Amino acid sequence: MPEQKVDSYARRLDRPVQQAVHDNSAAGTEKRYGSLAKDFTDADSLRRLAGAIRQHSIENLDTYLEQAEASLTRNGAHVHYAVTADDACRAVSDILKKAGAKKIVKSKSMISEEIHLNDHLATQGIESVETDLGEYIIQIDGDHPSHIVKPIIHKNRRDIARSFEREGLGDYNDDPQTITRRARDFMRGKYLGADAGITGANFVVADTGRLVLVTNEGNSRFCLAAPRIHIALVGIEKVIPSDSELTVLLNLLGRSATGQQLTVYTEFINGPARKDRPSGPEEMHVIFMDNQRSEILASNCREILRCIRCGACLNVCPIYRQATGHAYRSVYPGPIGAVLSPLLAGKNFKQLADLPKASSLCGACNEVCPVDIPIPDLLLRLRNKAHEEHLPSPGTPPMAGFGILASSPSIWKIAMKTGGLSSLVPLEKLPLPYLSPWLKTRTLPGWRGGQFRSWMKSRNKK
Amino acid sequence: MTPTISKPNGRKIQLMATCLCDAFFDNVAKATVEVLEHAGCEIEFPENQTCCGQPAFNCGDWTASRQVMRHTANVFKGDKPVIVPSGSCAAMLFHGAPLEFEKESDLGTINDLAGRTWEIADYLVNGLGIQKWPGRFQARIAFHRACHTRGTPSGAAAMQLLESIEGIEVIPFGEAEQCCGFGGTFSVSFPHVSSSMGCLKLEHITAVNPDFVVSGDMSCMMHLGGLAERGGKPIKTLHFVQILQAALQNHA
Amino acid sequence: MNTSRETIFKSIRDALSPIKERAARPSVPRGVADAKWLPDEADSIALFKKQATASGTLCFTDLESLAKWLESEKTRLLFIPSEFKPLVDFFSSRMNVTTEYTRAKVDEIDACITPAAAGIAESGTIVITDESTPDRLAALAPWYHIALLDRADIHRTIGDALAAMPKDPNIIWVTGPSKTADVEGILIQGVHGPGAQACLIV
Repeated sequence: MPEQKVDSYARRLDRPVQQAVHDNSAAGTEKRYGSLAKDFTDADSLRRLAGAIRQHSIENLDTYLEQAEASLTRNGAHVHYAVTADDACRAVSDILKKAGAKKIVKSKSMISEEIHLNDHLATQGIESVETDLGEYIIQIDGDHPSHIVKPIIHKNRRDIARSFEREGLGDYNDDPQTITRRARDFMRGKYLGADAGITGANFVVADTGRLVLVTNEGNSRFCLAAPRIHIALVGIEKVIPSDSELTVLLNLLGRSATGQQLTVYTEFINGPARKDRPSGPEEMHVIFMDNQRSEILASNCREILRCIRCGACLNVCPIYRQATGHAYRSVYPGPIGAVLSPLLAGKNFKQLADLPKASSLCGACNEVCPVDIPIPDLLLRLRNKAHEEHLPSPGTPPMAGFGILASSPSIWKIAMKTGGLSSLVPLEKLPLPYLSPWLKTRTLPGWRGGQFRSWMKSRNKK
Repeated sequence: MTPTISKPNGRKIQLMATCLCDAFFDNVAKATVEVLEHAGCEIEFPENQTCCGQPAFNCGDWTASRQVMRHTANVFKGDKPVIVPSGSCAAMLFHGAPLEFEKESDLGTINDLAGRTWEIADYLVNGLGIQKWPGRFQARIAFHRACHTRGTPSGAAAMQLLESIEGIEVIPFGEAEQCCGFGGTFSVSFPHVSSSMGCLKLEHITAVNPDFVVSGDMSCMMHLGGLAERGGKPIKTLHFVQILQAALQNHA
Repeated sequence: MNTSRETIFKSIRDALSPIKERAARPSVPRGVADAKWLPDEADSIALFKKQATASGTLCFTDLESLAKWLESEKTRLLFIPSEFKPLVDFFSSRMNVTTEYTRAKVDEIDACITPAAAGIAESGTIVITDESTPDRLAALAPWYHIALLDRADIHRTIGDALAAMPKDPNIIWVTGPSKTADVEGILIQGVHGPGAQACLIV
């Protein structure tokens, strides 16, 4: 029987890699819990408030996006819109070409991965260097991030040391501190020689036009200090009403992601730098990208747009811990990815329609989500969607027969009594192919069908 | 989740035995009956009951699932509380069913059923107000709180009853909040991940060497018990109602 | 032909039009996300020092201690903005000081003192703005950054600081030295930003 892709990936995964991801994820989950328990009496009510804030924001996106545009423009930023990933790529390269920019530095942005921005810029003859340590390593390895916050959780220091040696950053040295220092020194030159800096944004505040970036390394600060042009790529769903909502969201984001009260640098960008300043971009562009988000807004899974990209759901997910990020074959892995990635695929939904099935529906993801996204419900909706679209699903027993059986009590009772379906349904129709995966690693209890019913019946007769 | 306080909590109840107990765990269903009768309940067992439809629901075939749920709603019609010895089936009734019926014209019928469905521990402790369970049962137990009871009072209610029994010691174990890996058809469509999750949980549980592994869901117990047996290190699994029943048997 | 803007806004409006009642804006009561251990009458300065130190920021309240620290770290060249004449005089007698920060000197200058616009006691955060900083690079590039913070400018909570955000194109909340845990989850201090973050509270 064909395997589910996530299951076969997990089965073939290197044990040490899986163990490292598991341990790192479990540590992240502990840190999150510890920081919330230490600082709040009722963290759950705060999560629900944050969820209500985000739900309100996306359900009033028409108002807030327009307001954000007006505020940003008033602050001196140029606002652009991109419908598709290609539009966004072209919008970026158009701005850069117009400014004669050849070298850019990038800070971490999941949305830029979504649109394969670096590949596109390379075709335009523009050098784009990832400056976040993890993302830089991903870039030089031609790899993909396996976590939305901790991109190289699947790599060890020896892998990184070899990559650095290959890139000419020095002889082989796998000491984490040395690796980090080398990246620091190398990147300095890149920042200072860059024409433009590209960032994402964690939030866009509609009434003040502020972009909020939540970081730790200082690379995004450098991207916004050294080059003369700033381009921010933002999903349309990132907009929130005002600074007061930030109180709740910022207090939850760091704690949920890494157990930090606040990340080292919380950056509030309110426009380009003043012209007379020695550093900071004189030109600022914000590109709002749709790329299927308005479709998702129209769907019955719109709650997924609340996501603030903390990664807590990945850390706690038992399937993520077993399979690791690359098993999800998309930019967003884990529980968030299992909903978002098939939806972002648009008309290619069927290519990722197996992801919502890679879940035991345990609900741990919803429990840790700082914006209370009902992920299991969304996974179920997507399973229904896949079924309606008649998409094949390896290992999933067809349920039409079950539907008939379980709504026909007389047949059901006979089936119970006579030891199962074998007396009624030909063996080849029996879901035996579905039993063998069970029986490979587990025994089944003995059949007791009908026993309780007859006990209950004779009891009632007394 | 449906708040406990507004659910009818009378003692004339309907029992939903669950398809799993129907097929494999008659002893759990029998213990459920004895426990409820001890609590003063008058039990109606609608004979035409089959299943809550969750297997089809989880597979995305909501048409088949609704077909089953319509039958179930009809079988359990009335206004009595419906008691279920399974957090998973109870959650299907008060959360899953309203979800799959959200666009259906008979959503009202489903909501009615949802509004009077209780998982059994929740019913005993929060419905009937039983704080302490009589009798005694000498055992060190590991309690596995099934995932479908997340966000409900059921886990705490079961713990309260178990810890109140003389002789019972509930032993904590590592990563207790992590799923056992059953997940319904997930266990056969993702067999490697499902078994790996189960083995990881068994490692944590066996490290504390309990006499019994206890849960409010036989699905989890079937999965962990089956894994342990195939792995050559069998464990003893029980539904917590079986402990309540055993404690009563040891009651003077 | 629709512009991208028109296309997107139409898609959004079409997506939202079936919603009969849009989710209301929840009220965010002042202090709803304050840490539970915050004392009502905070000695904000003491709390700031405690929290800043916990996040890895070294706190100094006198020039002598700061000078001793920089000497022990053997800093090569310290930048101090010229308008802080008493500071310039004090440190010049002890070490190499420059009052000029330029890009050409980014590698040469390994320590900078620049003013903070504010502080946040609840998190031990230093608030830097363009207005308060002569050059963004001066607060970012050197290994040692010392923020000059007036105790009167310390907010009690994160919520308070958000309610009082100045109008400035570049507000940075600094909570400790730069760090990463990208390599095997091991915490390393000093990535692209300062590896040693300090605060001189005046």
